[in-house]
Amino acid sequence: MTALWLAIGFWLAAWGVNVWLSGSRFGRTGPGRALVPILFGVTVLVLWEGLVRGLGIAGVILPAPSVIAARIAGSLPTLWQDFVQTILKGAIPGFLIGSGAAFLTAIAIDRSPFLQRGLLPIGNFVAALPIVGLAPILVMWFGFDWQSKAAVVVVMVFFPMLVNIVAGLQACDRMQRDLMSTWGASYLQSLVKLRLPAAMPFIFNGLKIASTLALIGAIVAEFFGSPIYGMGFRISTEVGRLGLDMVWATIAVAALAGSVFYGLITLIERWVTFWHPSQRH
Amino acid sequence: MKRLITAAVLAATASAAQAEDVKLQLKWVTQAQFAGYYVAQDKGFYEEEGLNVTILPGGPDIAPTQVIAGGGADVIVEWMPAALAAREKGLPLVNIAQPFASSGMMLTCLKETGITSPADFPDKTLGVWFFGNEYPFLSWMSQLGLATDGSPGGVTVLKQGFNVDPLLQKQAACISTMTYNEYWQVIDAGLTPEDLVTFKYEDQGVATLEDGLYVLEDRLQDEAFQETMVKFVRASMKGWKYAEENPDEAAMIVLDNDQTGAQTETHQKRMMGEVAKLTAGSNGALDVAAAERTVASLLSEGSDPVITKAPEGAWTSMITDKALAE
Amino acid sequence: MNRVLPVLTVLAGIVVIWYAAAIWMNSTWVFDQANRAGTPVSWAEVIPQTMTQDRPLLPPPHQVGAELWKGLFGQAITSKRSLVYHGYVTFKGTMMGFGLGILAGVLLAMAIVRFRVMDMSVMPWAIISQTIPIVALAPMIITLSSQMGLSGRDLPKAVIAAYLSFFPVLVSMVKGLRAPDQMQLDLLKTYGASEMATFLKLRLPASMPYFFASLKVAVAASLVGTIVGELPTGAIEGLGARMLIGSQFGEPLIMWAALFAAAILAGLLILVVGFVERLARKRMGVPA
Repeated sequence: MTALWLAIGFWLAAWGVNVWLSGSRFGRTGPGRALVPILFGVTVLVLWEGLVRGLGIAGVILPAPSVIAARIAGSLPTLWQDFVQTILKGAIPGFLIGSGAAFLTAIAIDRSPFLQRGLLPIGNFVAALPIVGLAPILVMWFGFDWQSKAAVVVVMVFFPMLVNIVAGLQACDRMQRDLMSTWGASYLQSLVKLRLPAAMPFIFNGLKIASTLALIGAIVAEFFGSPIYGMGFRISTEVGRLGLDMVWATIAVAALAGSVFYGLITLIERWVTFWHPSQRH
Repeated sequence: MKRLITAAVLAATASAAQAEDVKLQLKWVTQAQFAGYYVAQDKGFYEEEGLNVTILPGGPDIAPTQVIAGGGADVIVEWMPAALAAREKGLPLVNIAQPFASSGMMLTCLKETGITSPADFPDKTLGVWFFGNEYPFLSWMSQLGLATDGSPGGVTVLKQGFNVDPLLQKQAACISTMTYNEYWQVIDAGLTPEDLVTFKYEDQGVATLEDGLYVLEDRLQDEAFQETMVKFVRASMKGWKYAEENPDEAAMIVLDNDQTGAQTETHQKRMMGEVAKLTAGSNGALDVAAAERTVASLLSEGSDPVITKAPEGAWTSMITDKALAE
Repeated sequence: MNRVLPVLTVLAGIVVIWYAAAIWMNSTWVFDQANRAGTPVSWAEVIPQTMTQDRPLLPPPHQVGAELWKGLFGQAITSKRSLVYHGYVTFKGTMMGFGLGILAGVLLAMAIVRFRVMDMSVMPWAIISQTIPIVALAPMIITLSSQMGLSGRDLPKAVIAAYLSFFPVLVSMVKGLRAPDQMQLDLLKTYGASEMATFLKLRLPASMPYFFASLKVAVAASLVGTIVGELPTGAIEGLGARMLIGSQFGEPLIMWAALFAAAILAGLLILVVGFVERLARKRMGVPA
């Protein structure tokens, strides 16, 4: 039980430090900005460790972070192989193809009001569908290797992206568009100089949502058939073997990969949409 | 761990005081594979023993071992390899009864791939279930001396999903099937038995014990729990024997209990017929020789054995001795 | 008419492509069977056979339609064979998850915009939370909730759904609450508006378009979460459970019908959310 109380004590202390940090001048510098979330994360881990040890929770239900860390250190080659299979071969190609195709489609239907009126309601509708349900079907079609995982990701990512891009392209107001036409801007000029930049916040919103969908899609698809490596395979297999430490190790890798992916998109967003009010601090 | 055990024991005493509630976690979704329990429930066999049994269907993400560890069930249906592996991981599971006398697992291959015997396996793709069901396969391959990492001369292993599509789509040369389920789906799909070559684990001498009843070791020390389990096993076996004698009725009972409404009469009746063949030789008591064979097969696996040492106390006859006494 | 015609054109195009794909994909099986039987078949014989298979690779629209019709209207809606019944089960889960998700998303967003420490410490982790594959957490959620004495299957399902649906709400609300530019904020400051008033009169109205845009995504995410949750939580009932059983027993028609039932449910949810959005916009005087 002492472990639990120690953890709670640590939590309160860390909370205090964070409140102070975020208000202080140091909190506005780069390292300070990074320190706050890290401290928060460490607190969660400490609380978790304290809970598991203090309450004597069995390792087959919830392993302690220290056990998970040991497992990560001990199975780096396996984790790397899973990472390559699921993220590099499944999620990323699927993400790029899916959002690329959505972008091209959005531009294509942008020029044709007829297609736009036809495709948009359907796109909106499909974007809301539980596409994961297609995973077993796509695995049946594209085989059990990474191709089917990428296919699931493409389908999952495509429609949310399409809807966001189309909404983004309509984001600039009438006045701005009229201004462009009074300057005699061509369709292409007005697209590149006004409408695409104006659409960027929406596009990045879509990209962020798509990045998390991509990961879920790639992992869920492995559920329905896969080679004997891959993060989804590892998770579902190890749950059955009660290797919960390995499950959490894989989850940690997935979280890390997802965060880096998301972080990259955010960095690019900052750089592209520096003018948007939401980017001001 | 210690606290959890205390909690479990406390929970056990608490539930024993009430109307003897028993929660049974199945290994998979509601189907005729578990007919005995549904029959015992439906025909009132549990009720006659004064038990209030809740049958919890499983699913692709439900490991019965984890459920029982978390206190979500009192007794689980599990395969012996998975139960022994869990035991090595520190979850003290004990087999208290073994309604399935023989194994229904086999490898079904397409004849057109040229496979006629296990000697033809090298460099082929074989479909296997994971989630604790891969152990018999891995130990067979290791006895054949075949690597399962996809290296030349070994076999490429594919984690098959919940159906037989990898075989139909020719993504795998062979897939794992159960005599009572997937094999017939292959046949239903339009392939004839002549198109197929099957290798039963039973015939290959690598059979392991399937659907047995497992409980946590600590709870067995509690006499009230013992008593409940004796009643439970007795009623369950009565259910199984009834199901064997009346397969069609049993299948319909299973169908009534299937809440998805997606199971079909044809599938369940056929499955019941096949399952009856596997349970026929068992009165519920575990055949210790078969259990030792299972252990030997799991231990013999080459580089990555399923279990590293022979388990002690992984099964007990104290429940079945009493249950079958009368 | 002006709005319906394009949609119908596109739909007709999809149906044509679908039929073509069905013929193409299902023909492999017909040819294979013919090969095994040793009798050659011509395309004229193949096409009808691709339309009526029991387990087609891609069922043609009329097969799916027939199965869907049977599921929706072929039996009493209380029957467990009825897709209406299973759709209702899934709908309940979706709504519980959606409600929880909105609540969590909005509250977190408010806290994040208001308190710098929340923004700095929680926001990165909220993002990371989404990168954790929910399928991996599902069995833990079920085990943990059963250990806490909650044996029902509804709550774990709702938690999984909420886990997916709170995020779009959070992201959009943070963006929306920060959407007012400095000029507007300065103006309110010159009016001497309190923080509460700024929030209610400026930030909240400004965030509404973002909020409603996110609702559509959130309700869809909640449905996905519910269906994913129905796969592993014992496959008892609901559309997700039917998809699993359809997949396991090699009944693609059951699977496709469940998928389309889920699509119809999604469509209804989106319509309702869209309707609420229009109402709210009108009420708040936001130009549509």
